[in-house]
Amino acid sequence: MGSKYQKSVRGPLTLWAFMLEVTLILVFFFFTSYETSVKEQKKLMRTYRDFQDVIIMAVLGLGFLNTSLRRHCWSSVAFNLFMLALGVQLTVLLDGFLNQLSLRKMVLNLSSIQISTMSATSVLISVGVILGKVNLLQLLLMTLIEVTAFSATRMVGKEVFNMDNHISMMYLHVFAACFGLTVACCLPKPLPNAAEDKDQTATSPSLFAMLGTLFLWMFWPSFNSALLDIPDEKKKALFNTYYALAVSMVTAISVSALAHPQGKINMTHIHNAVLAGGVAVGAPCYLIPSPWLAMVLGLVAGLISIWGAKYLQVCLQRMLDLHDAYGVQYTFGLPGLLGGITNIVLMALQVKWTKISTLGYQILTDSGAFSFTIIMGMGSGLLTGLLLNLKIWKSPHVVNYFNDQTFWKFPHLAVGY
Amino acid sequence: MRFTFPLMAIGLEVAMIVLFGLFVQYETDQNFSQQPNSTKSPTVDVDRYLDLYPLFQDVHVMVFAGFGFLMTFLRKYGFSSVGINLLIAALGLQWGTIAQGILQSHGEKFHIEIKNMINADFSTATVLISFGAVLGKTSPIQMLTMTILEIAVFAVNEYLVVEIFGASDIGASMTIHAFGAYFGLAVAGVLYRSSLKEGHRNEESVYHSDLFAMIGTLFLWIFWPSFNSAVANAGKNQYMAIVNTYFSLAACVVTAYACSSLLESRGKLHMVHIQNATLAGGVAIGTSADMANTPYYAMIIGSIAGMVSVFGFKFLTPFFTTKLRIHDTCGVHNLHGLPGVIGGLASIVFIALETADRSAMAMQAAALGSSIGTALVGGLVTGLILKIPIWGQPADQDCYDDSVYWEVPRRTELDMFSRFHEHGNHNQLEPEA
Repeated sequence: MGSKYQKSVRGPLTLWAFMLEVTLILVFFFFTSYETSVKEQKKLMRTYRDFQDVIIMAVLGLGFLNTSLRRHCWSSVAFNLFMLALGVQLTVLLDGFLNQLSLRKMVLNLSSIQISTMSATSVLISVGVILGKVNLLQLLLMTLIEVTAFSATRMVGKEVFNMDNHISMMYLHVFAACFGLTVACCLPKPLPNAAEDKDQTATSPSLFAMLGTLFLWMFWPSFNSALLDIPDEKKKALFNTYYALAVSMVTAISVSALAHPQGKINMTHIHNAVLAGGVAVGAPCYLIPSPWLAMVLGLVAGLISIWGAKYLQVCLQRMLDLHDAYGVQYTFGLPGLLGGITNIVLMALQVKWTKISTLGYQILTDSGAFSFTIIMGMGSGLLTGLLLNLKIWKSPHVVNYFNDQTFWKFPHLAVGY
Repeated sequence: MRFTFPLMAIGLEVAMIVLFGLFVQYETDQNFSQQPNSTKSPTVDVDRYLDLYPLFQDVHVMVFAGFGFLMTFLRKYGFSSVGINLLIAALGLQWGTIAQGILQSHGEKFHIEIKNMINADFSTATVLISFGAVLGKTSPIQMLTMTILEIAVFAVNEYLVVEIFGASDIGASMTIHAFGAYFGLAVAGVLYRSSLKEGHRNEESVYHSDLFAMIGTLFLWIFWPSFNSAVANAGKNQYMAIVNTYFSLAACVVTAYACSSLLESRGKLHMVHIQNATLAGGVAIGTSADMANTPYYAMIIGSIAGMVSVFGFKFLTPFFTTKLRIHDTCGVHNLHGLPGVIGGLASIVFIALETADRSAMAMQAAALGSSIGTALVGGLVTGLILKIPIWGQPADQDCYDDSVYWEVPRRTELDMFSRFHEHGNHNQLEPEA
């Protein structure tokens, strides 16, 4: 890595993207068809609303969530859209093949596409850890691996551990956070002083990040309840998420002020910690019987998240030399962990009243499924990290980390390069 | 500007109110009870209303937030882009309701439903697309005039395409996108300012104005399936339109990024391509959105549209500006014009492959031809009217500048930001103003 100039990705990126798209079109040609039975209009429209809420969160919410850095806004938003577009097409195919475990023609309907879109958001979450240190070509590869790994995880969870769709999807946050963390560990570390300069947040980027946060915050109840079919559970999920989010918002703002010597609120904490409640309540949201429990969960999630932002961030950077610029670990990782544990406890409690004998088995499978998700995240993350370090991907030099000029053409703004 | 603009706007608004008073009625229970099977129809219709209202709202978001923010990329023209966009859309939806309603009811009184509101929003979309072509070079008064003229022409063309030809254009690739783009190009061609041949110093973007434009892009991207499926028949057709548009958009994003990287030095991406070409797939699938019953067809159309759009930005826009003397500020020809034509052609190809129904193919071709033809003729006439020097046109040096029509804060944050950059990093100097 002698030169600090960005190596050209002109050939490889175009080639890879075209090849993938052509392959996808071919596979779609041979193996897919739409559902042909005329659907009931009401049901279609209801599914479509859910579907669209998920897309808003993925495209607008997660896109703008990571724009708080001064010189890395364009890449955050635009790479997000690219990865989603690619990830969705791939996940639709993978989910279809893995569900029927054979190469028959699959039938696509709106809810299966929605599930695939939700799976693809795992990439958008874990990319927060490494954004700014990789180019689009590397992200393309990461999308391929992560989407495959997550679909496989969900399939195994369903077959082996008997997880339902909702739970396996809600472990997405933990999976993505572990994946991102492991990949980041393998990549070259940013220079300490360069990071300081470019890592700075500024007012307008922070406002853009707030736009993303607010959209995520508003539509989170739809995300958590999207895969629940029983009306009662769906209702519970909606309410619980709504209250948990509200509580974590209040907690985040107040604790952020408390953690500062002069009692000032930190915008970065707000961007991330307000969402912690939604993440934490994700897996157990349909089991929580009364709102106060969800509110407690939101409170704890908010606290954990701020604690993570304040102390764990420094700790990670010092011990592992890991730089988590957008705080994925404490937005998604820790609250997701909390949610997973809460879910296992609540499931156990539910069993206890009916059959005491199966309690041990139940706890075992639940925690097995949960740790399997984490291990899969870390394993596939390690694989991706090692692959991304290969020279053929022309990764940006550490000097160019967190800089849009590495990836974008600036017609009027910039001189040089 | 002080008196002419308010007088004209209020005059138009009064005219709208009078027209609404003369022609428009709500659908009420009395209307239903006149029908023989009145026991069932009201509930059915309320259901349909509830089904359509969310789709209407999605289209509304696209028209007001999507198109508005998409045009905010100019560094000193953000207020006008969003503000004039709102003005045009608000006036246009009233005039669109009247124009389409009168044509369909042949001059009788008519009732409005959610469908009329969706169609009225569609008609404003044409003006907003044309606005993109002349962005920065017109006054608000000219835009009001153009709104009235363009929607009238659009309503006639749509009537021709749908009622006379019986062509299918569910996502309106031809009647809205191609029409709006070619209308705008014709107007821009007539209003060409040869003194700005070398470009204008304000016709450029800064870092954050491009990010604002990205908000518009994402809103449009998200809600495009609703745009293409809003007026589709309930049930299967609507479902196909939604899913096809989604896959087309996804495929389009991938190829647009690939082409953008191919065309720039060192494989960098170009923000203008990302903002616009990622949406071309939605435009191109429009006409055949409810026909194709396999996803690969939509993906092929989307991929082609993404590529064509990026190549258009790179090669066609400079050619139009220098050789044809048509200056297209937002590049609407590449986002709406070319993909719209692709959409029309794709529907012909699709019909040829599936049913080989010659008359249907001929009607689709006629629809495409009439959309482009009326757009060009209407645009030329409108351009000539707008060239009459009574509309308060901005002087050449005042183009692309908000301060001519808006009160702007004396020091904007963007200025401070770029100044900060100049001191902070010498790599990122702004050119001398």
